[in-house]
Amino acid sequence: MNRYIRLSAALALLMLALIPTFAVSAQDGIETVCLVTDIGRVNDGTFNQYAYEGMMRAVEDFDLDSTFIETQSQTDYQTNIETCLQEGYEVIITVGFLIADATAEAAAANPDVYFIGVDQVNEDPENLPNYVGIQFREDQAGFLVGAMAALMTETNVIAGVYGIDVPAVVKFRHGFEQGARYINPDIEVLGVYIASFTAPDLGAAAAEQFLGEGADVIFGAGGSTGSGGTLYAAQNGAYVIGVDQDEYFTTFGGGETPGAENLITSAVKRVDNGVYNMIELLVNGEPLPEDGIYMLEAANDGIGFAPAHDADVPEEVTERIQEIYEALKDGSLDTGVDPLTGALLEEAEATEEATVEADEE
Amino acid sequence: MQTTSPPLGPSAPALPTQSWRDRLKITRSGVFSILFVLFGLWALIAAPQSYSPETVTGLTFGSGLPRVEVPTLSFVTVAGWLFLLGGLVGLAASFISGGSPVVVDERKPQATVLDRVARFWLIVNGILIIPTILIIAAANNSTNVTVMLQVSVRLATPIALGALAGIWCERSGVVNIAIEGMMLTGACFGFVALTIFAEMMPTATAIWLGVLVAVLSGGAMALLHAWLSITFRTDQIVSGTVINILAVGITSFLRREVLFSSEAGRETLQAIRIPVLADIPVLGDVLFNGRPIFYAMFILLVVTHVVLFYTRWGLRTRAVGENPHAADTLGINVIRNRWINVLIGGLIAGLAGAWFSLETTGNFEDNMTSGRGFIGLAAMIFGKWTPFGSFAGALLFGFSDALGQRFQFLGVPVPPQFLQMVPYIITIIVLAGLVGRAVAPKADGVPYEKEGKS
Repeated sequence: MNRYIRLSAALALLMLALIPTFAVSAQDGIETVCLVTDIGRVNDGTFNQYAYEGMMRAVEDFDLDSTFIETQSQTDYQTNIETCLQEGYEVIITVGFLIADATAEAAAANPDVYFIGVDQVNEDPENLPNYVGIQFREDQAGFLVGAMAALMTETNVIAGVYGIDVPAVVKFRHGFEQGARYINPDIEVLGVYIASFTAPDLGAAAAEQFLGEGADVIFGAGGSTGSGGTLYAAQNGAYVIGVDQDEYFTTFGGGETPGAENLITSAVKRVDNGVYNMIELLVNGEPLPEDGIYMLEAANDGIGFAPAHDADVPEEVTERIQEIYEALKDGSLDTGVDPLTGALLEEAEATEEATVEADEE
Repeated sequence: MQTTSPPLGPSAPALPTQSWRDRLKITRSGVFSILFVLFGLWALIAAPQSYSPETVTGLTFGSGLPRVEVPTLSFVTVAGWLFLLGGLVGLAASFISGGSPVVVDERKPQATVLDRVARFWLIVNGILIIPTILIIAAANNSTNVTVMLQVSVRLATPIALGALAGIWCERSGVVNIAIEGMMLTGACFGFVALTIFAEMMPTATAIWLGVLVAVLSGGAMALLHAWLSITFRTDQIVSGTVINILAVGITSFLRREVLFSSEAGRETLQAIRIPVLADIPVLGDVLFNGRPIFYAMFILLVVTHVVLFYTRWGLRTRAVGENPHAADTLGINVIRNRWINVLIGGLIAGLAGAWFSLETTGNFEDNMTSGRGFIGLAAMIFGKWTPFGSFAGALLFGFSDALGQRFQFLGVPVPPQFLQMVPYIITIIVLAGLVGRAVAPKADGVPYEKEGKS
């Protein structure tokens, strides 16, 4: 209820503000943005919040008009986008993989409105030049924290608790494993996919099994299944690594939650930067990327690793990770993971080498 | 068990003469015998090709205990012969004397020596198959047996509690498929209560109030179930479904409205080491170093068993579940009995919910019980509506959850999607193959209507 009141109040105010704006609007740059969340709210500590923060930063910097709609169920995606359209917004930001279809449809029906989709792919960039999907190099973020795990472990056994094996999770996993092996080729890296993003108890069980095998750094990448694993491991004395955002402020309650002193870093996706950069592009009247994808990677500060906060991470470790980050940034280091599917590229190369050797013989 | 009553009737059924068709009839143990034969053949033929005689499987048992190295090939060969011969003996037994050597059936009242041997051997093989698979999976590697058992029993806790909740309801004749929903409600309300009380008092106290609220909210859902299905005689399946859907709605609404602003993980109930007992190697870690709800599960197990089979209330409950009209004639208040039993079931289901949010994860997530309430019902059926039998079923499911994960990180060359199915495949095999005919209480699912009324 509250939401509707807030929204209608916001819309009423905006309409008053917008009527004159439209009358004089003749420049290229956009002036109004509307955000539709995935199921959740703009302060829920997930992508929704980071997309919202990115938008609000742009709104302040470029003096735009904005509003947001919080989606309550999957059946509302279309309706909410429709609401934004009817109110005449020039840019519509939709958050999440699940809202992609509704976004693509709306983009096709409204060629003069721009669409920015977080965690989405524009499958048809030629016909939909007004739609951009924001993607991430999870493998690079995973690579950084994997290297960190390899530097911090004493038992030489590290492990990951993963959710459903969707591309983003597979990229995190392979990046993590590649990064660990980059530091120490002989390290033992365990990992398990769990068929749910909402089963923290199974995540905790996996973490318990890993600790039993001697693992002393646990990476949790799979929604609350993953954070179930990191919470358990952190409270039982292992170092842990968060995912997506700096989990120090979410899962570990800003240091209030027991075990926060064992969170050494998080593999961060800068959703806010992605949204901000795309809005900036449109404000300046520039076209969206031609291939319909805006890849957030080390090179544009789209991914990164979170600071250690309360954990005791030696300075030389942080420096080493920063070096690797720079190397990923300038392209001198590659993760060996396919940036879209998450498959390991190494295997392909290995077979190529094998054929070359066979030829030489 | 005390509960399997002989079939009611004037006299025991006459023995049918055994025809060839009877002898060739596929029995449950016949199928398992064939499976064991195939598995034995596979172990004897395929294993020597995959493992060299030097391959060992390391078994560790936790800190302070020595590592045991099992020569993989020898173990698998010995096990393979056991499976093969046991399977053949089982087949022979079910063929020679007809009928099944394991399940006592009316066609075969007297077990021969061959039957006894076959039955014993099949049970040995059924147990042996688990370490065999584990040793094959962990070849060239090592695996921590203690932790795996520990995780198994821990994951079995909510399943066992769910099964107990089911037993209380169904023994009195009320089908309860709403256990899942009651668990979810308990998990959510308990955690919400913790976040609220934690602002007024130390977390260690607030968490116990949270457990109390979880138990009570499970009970509240049960009262709704009782109201709909006992008082209003709604179809019990429909009422249960309504509660499951309602629980998903209420809890996800509460999570959005109350928990979003404080979605950080919380403290959980702390483990209690039972002195002396916890120092027993392996067993001590598995059973005597648990957390409160884990222990409560064992206590409730014994209490349920005693109440159900050794008290007047239990006798009345079973009577109401089997034949409410007869019970009514004898002066038992059927409606009241059912209300109370359904309520007790709900309280236990609420406690199972607290296991998720307050004991294990320190967090609440939409639909975090992910079907464990339904698996609890499967465990209940596995145990034929008896507490200890259900606990065995719960252990099996907890173990298969733990095993599915372990297979993945031991590098079993099977895609993870298939390994994630392990618990469910085991459920199907167990329910279809091992349980035998599970007989529910006779009046289970039938709303009670007093004769002459309405």
